[in-house]
Amino acid sequence: MKKTPVNSLTADAVIYSAEALRLAAFVFSDKAETVIKPGKGCFLVSFRNEAPGFHPGDYFNEALNQQCRLDLAKKNSKAAGMIATKALLSAAGEAGRKA
Amino acid sequence: MALKKAAKRTEPSGPPQLLWRREGAECLVTNDFGHYAWLKRKDFDLLLAGKLGEKHPAYAALADKGFIRDRLDFDGLTAKWRSKNAYLNTGPGLHILVLTLRCNHKCLYCQSSAAGMGSRDADMSPATAKKCVDFAFQSPNPGITIEFQGGEPLLNWEALKAAVLHARAKAKKAGKDLRLALVSNFSLMTEEKAQFLMEHEVSICTSLDGPADLHNRNRVFCGGNSYAATVKWLKFFQARHAHQVPEYRVFKPSALLTVSRYSLGRHKEIIDEYVKAGLEDIFIRPLAPIGFAKNLWGQIGYDAKAFGKFYLDSLDYILKLNRSGVKLREKMASMMLDKIVNSRDPGYLDARCPCGAAIGQVAYNYNGDLYTCDEGRMVGWEGDDAFKIGNVRRDPYRKVMTSGAARACVLSSNLESQPDCARCAYKPYCGVCPVYNYETQGSLWGDMAVNDRCGLFKGTFGALFAMLKKPANEAILRNWVAK
Repeated sequence: MKKTPVNSLTADAVIYSAEALRLAAFVFSDKAETVIKPGKGCFLVSFRNEAPGFHPGDYFNEALNQQCRLDLAKKNSKAAGMIATKALLSAAGEAGRKA
Repeated sequence: MALKKAAKRTEPSGPPQLLWRREGAECLVTNDFGHYAWLKRKDFDLLLAGKLGEKHPAYAALADKGFIRDRLDFDGLTAKWRSKNAYLNTGPGLHILVLTLRCNHKCLYCQSSAAGMGSRDADMSPATAKKCVDFAFQSPNPGITIEFQGGEPLLNWEALKAAVLHARAKAKKAGKDLRLALVSNFSLMTEEKAQFLMEHEVSICTSLDGPADLHNRNRVFCGGNSYAATVKWLKFFQARHAHQVPEYRVFKPSALLTVSRYSLGRHKEIIDEYVKAGLEDIFIRPLAPIGFAKNLWGQIGYDAKAFGKFYLDSLDYILKLNRSGVKLREKMASMMLDKIVNSRDPGYLDARCPCGAAIGQVAYNYNGDLYTCDEGRMVGWEGDDAFKIGNVRRDPYRKVMTSGAARACVLSSNLESQPDCARCAYKPYCGVCPVYNYETQGSLWGDMAVNDRCGLFKGTFGALFAMLKKPANEAILRNWVAK
């Protein structure tokens, strides 16, 4: 069966990275199939087999959320990584030991 | 060049890392050490510009709290951070044993995803219960709390008894501080069982949703009157607590309140019921759209705003009662206040960074399956094992603690990695829940801008900080966490 894109939207590549768009697509995988194609300075995003109630705006909110998280990781990943590692190693009973 | 650098150093320096939030004409500023201060807008601007001079009336207090770059007491602040986040060094302390999925109640909101009384293969065997205890004692945490839950745990008395005896013996040998707790609806409690529980110092917790009509509407019990059984046994344990014996400690019983849509607007009656039952704590817990409650959300659920109003009305009423001499505290507020006022970790696993999933608690299902937390187990009950971290018979402790689900929960609940949280003024006291995010927003990370739980926590923190500004309230609230 030929699937016809229902909606096709443009995401500015200055704001959205491909990774953020892909992560958002994964979050919405139970609501729509998301197709992401690179364009000139942008990404073309279209949706197929949308579930009732799905709204592309929700997808782009999530994409922005993911992008903010990726941007934050560039600044905070060292502190965040130290906290997470400490918590996990302590829980595993390995704190203080060399990995 | 060198001169230029030296000149730069004499310029006013901005504050060290701080978090802030505008509230009317003032700003609330906080930092990672757990300190907070209220500043007028113009003083806040001076602080940001590094122009708040030593003669300013707020200077000394801000310097003590680590808000002035040139006056940082690194040793003191580091010690404070370390003590506030001590849980990062300890591993799981809370171990929830789901002794059976069966339950004789059919509560409207049942979050424990209980099975019917006739369900087969829904009980934990005594052998598995002992295995779970052994597993719990592998945690490096010097304090172990084992909580017996269900379903209704009294339906599987043999496993409960076996686990209690085994845990007590194990704690003696291991030299660990062991706490045992039972969460029961009391409908199957007998004097014989109560005696065993008291003799082995098992603390008792039940559910009390308010006056009889409300309690019984939420907590449907075909075999009798749920409210009557709850109140009867609360009185029994209260009386035993009041008349201690030298051989063992009898703990004061406690109760949990789950707020359904039917509870909204009835805060006074509910709180009065707690006072009448002689309880000194009330834990006002919102419903979460997890497990059974998710399917009935349209009937019994509500939004953060509705719960926020209920919660604030309740706090106001409790403070009013406190002023007239009644001893009662709200548990969630107490735990948050402990963080805000004392920079202490009250052990509230839902509001930690990272959250308590696996690194602070483990949920043991009836069949020995291990989950990051009880909420994660409920998701498993729906057929999605995203939060399963192993099996008590099959997987070694270290493998469980470093499993994919454990790591994913730690990473996704780290507020330093959450866009809204990383700069939120309430970050030093807050925490996110990956299970809630997964169930309501489709990912472990969630999106805090539109997350109801986040809205709820923000509302609670906002109310507590506002109350702390009023001296009369502040004295009462500080007294809640004075121990």
